[in-house]
Amino acid sequence: MAEDEVFDALADPVRREILAVLAEQDELSAGDLAQRIERVGRTTVSSHLRILRTAGLITEDRRGRHRFYAIDTEGAARDVIRLLQRLLEGSADAARAAVEEARRDDDGATADRAGGQAM
Amino acid sequence: MGSVVVLAERHVDAPADTIFALLQPGAGAGWLFDVTCDRLAPGAVISLQLPLSGLNEDGVTILGRIAHLRAPWRLDIVHDLPWRGRLRIRLDDAPSDEGGPGTRLRLLADLDDEGIAWLLRHRGVRVTEPLDPAERPVGLLLSKSGPGAVFAGACEQLAAMAVAEINADGGIRGQRLRLLVGDDATDPATGALEARRLVAAGCRTILAATTSASFARIADELQAAGVLLVHTLMNEGGLGSELRMQLGERPHLQLAAATGPLMDQVGGRRWFLAGNDYVWPRVVHDAAKRVLARGGATVAGEAFAPLGTRDFTPLIERIVATQADLVLSSFVGADLVAFERQCHAMGVREHCGSLALALDEPTRERIGDAAAEGLWGVSGYFEQLDDEHNAAFLARYRGTFGGLATPVSSISEGTYEALHLYAAAARDAGEDEPRVLARTLRSCRSTFARGTVAIEGPETVVQDLFVAQAVPGGFAVDRVG
Repeated sequence: MAEDEVFDALADPVRREILAVLAEQDELSAGDLAQRIERVGRTTVSSHLRILRTAGLITEDRRGRHRFYAIDTEGAARDVIRLLQRLLEGSADAARAAVEEARRDDDGATADRAGGQAM
Repeated sequence: MGSVVVLAERHVDAPADTIFALLQPGAGAGWLFDVTCDRLAPGAVISLQLPLSGLNEDGVTILGRIAHLRAPWRLDIVHDLPWRGRLRIRLDDAPSDEGGPGTRLRLLADLDDEGIAWLLRHRGVRVTEPLDPAERPVGLLLSKSGPGAVFAGACEQLAAMAVAEINADGGIRGQRLRLLVGDDATDPATGALEARRLVAAGCRTILAATTSASFARIADELQAAGVLLVHTLMNEGGLGSELRMQLGERPHLQLAAATGPLMDQVGGRRWFLAGNDYVWPRVVHDAAKRVLARGGATVAGEAFAPLGTRDFTPLIERIVATQADLVLSSFVGADLVAFERQCHAMGVREHCGSLALALDEPTRERIGDAAAEGLWGVSGYFEQLDDEHNAAFLARYRGTFGGLATPVSSISEGTYEALHLYAAAARDAGEDEPRVLARTLRSCRSTFARGTVAIEGPETVVQDLFVAQAVPGGFAVDRVG
């Protein structure tokens, strides 16, 4: 799964609240979850659950007419390691960008000095 | 160390020294996680900001220390908070395809299962720890993240050392003691969730080295749980009961010990009281008003800032405007670090003496030698105590965790003591019932690195206090009895 989806999934306060509620339970049905999340309606909770499931943060289990949701622990450990790797890659990319920016600043400063001398 | 190594590698079209020079925000673009460090040298403290989204906040601060440095080729950072790990940065000559200067830049992060468990919990994932039936779990709540992480330094290590000593001494009536650690993230609601997790994992006693804000919330939410909750660090008291104990230094005693000598040194008597906006600093200020009035001193002003404040400029301008002679700082953790650094930068030290009740060595070294010099602290323990018990204790700590381990504070030494006192009470009580254990604990007495500690009831600890003044590299300490 793409880490962007995980970041996006965690960026929303309602989705964080859903994760916090699920963190205290083994699993909850869609109806029970909607009751616990008071600040938005049932339909909105459903769409948040879909986003969390796509991001690999929760699992969905259909039993009869009900759907049960739980935190996806196995996928999550893998995901945490990938997330750390992405942070490290981001830092290495930032080093590249810093070098290029410093080079542009130097070129700019050289051009300024050249301009000053011409006047 | 570590069961997982995470690696990132990039080629950069620049020589290694150019890349290395841009590492810090002050010197360049700060490509290494907004690293902050007063001096790049082995042993120096360093912090990194990781943009890790979690349930409660959008960033994670890594509190670490430089383990190895060979500029511009190698930088190793070890850290214990929020998780134990190591970050290694390696630069090697690797000419670019066109033959120009180039560098292979590698970043490696090492972490263990506990580190992964912390990261999972940070994201809201439930992680349980399997317990052996021969083990007896005891809970320890710390601030491994958030502003309080600064004062949590060495707590987990010293707790582990105490547990190893207790188990080497036969455990508790045939059972090995097992430490389960929770992180309140310096947030009361998170603290309550973590306390519930520890109770669900089987802990019948939880030691809390957290702010009073977290302790009060946990004490309230765990009313029906029937577990013993022990506050192990300096606090204002007031919550002691059959299943609630509050150890640690009391503000009025700290103030009575330190304000007089400080006023004698500074030669002034007008105080400004400034602290974080929660119960402990407010009680500290109320106590200060009484203690100062008795000593013929006056209060020139008072201000509070929420926990997590990073810009204290307006508050410090108010202090300067009152022309106070002395500042009582009741900020904690990263807030105390930021406040004192900014006071130093704004010249407050040149006019004012400063006393900070929560000043300890892990906090002092993050304030930095220059900004901390001359600050006063007061507590029941400083690492510099010249005493044979302390020397033996520190030798065991350094022997176990090495020369780069976080300095010991009253808070971390107090965590170690609390575990030994708990074990002594559990052995004496002869049963696991928390009420029976608490009854025994309420009259425990023992000698530790700080000296003799006598518990008298649910929230009174008789101990010596020490006044200390920050000097480069540590504290100069005086006993005040």
